Amino acid sequence: MPVPFESLIPFAIISGMFLVTGTGIRYAQTKRNEGKVARYSLDDWDRKMLQRDKQLTGTERGQIDDPVAPAEFKVNSAWK
Amino acid sequence: MVNPGYKNFKGEDWVDPTPPPAHLPLVDEVGSTGAPLKSASFFIGTLCKEYNEDFMLCKNENRNPEHCLLEGRKVTRCAIDALQKIQSKCQDEFRAHWKCLDGKNQDLGRCRNPEKGLNECLFTAFGWKKDLPGAPTNKPQIHERTPLTS
Repeated sequence: MPVPFESLIPFAIISGMFLVTGTGIRYAQTKRNEGKVARYSLDDWDRKMLQRDKQLTGTERGQIDDPVAPAEFKVNSAWK
Repeated sequence: MVNPGYKNFKGEDWVDPTPPPAHLPLVDEVGSTGAPLKSASFFIGTLCKEYNEDFMLCKNENRNPEHCLLEGRKVTRCAIDALQKIQSKCQDEFRAHWKCLDGKNQDLGRCRNPEKGLNECLFTAFGWKKDLPGAPTNKPQIHERTPLTS
């Protein structure tokens, strides 16, 4: 007697749930990071650089490469 | 971040608009974010070696920000100059490299191909070579290694 199809349904459900979790996590992370992969293993330097990037561009993952900063950059660091 | 006395006032909204004191010379700030700076870091390092070392030695004496303002201005101007030079000749390769870095957690080892293009362009334009200070001289440097196979 061949393998009954009913026994493979739980496998399909489990794999489907893995797919759902993976896709959901990837969607949430790309939404938070403007379409880029999330940063990991951040040390103090990276955290302070992300904060500086937020002052320059408004978001932590935005990047610009002008040599000279706009005039607002001199005064827009928030007091913590 | 709650500032004392301001219970529902976010720290990010508290911006101090007073300009710096008038007796300090005006110097522009470097406008690049993290990925372009990392991409250009070794070239800024070779160009601005003396100014950077001066600043670090000055900070070593005294951590007070007021003590090292002069050396800091020189460092900023040199970095701006280095970035302007890179962008005048090799802007496309530079952009390709830092865009790659941005997507790979700013890991230099994962973006060797764009980096090769940038290094060649800068070598032909200015004669700059990316050099790791303190690397052993008997083997090729890490960014110049070639695979043993293929």
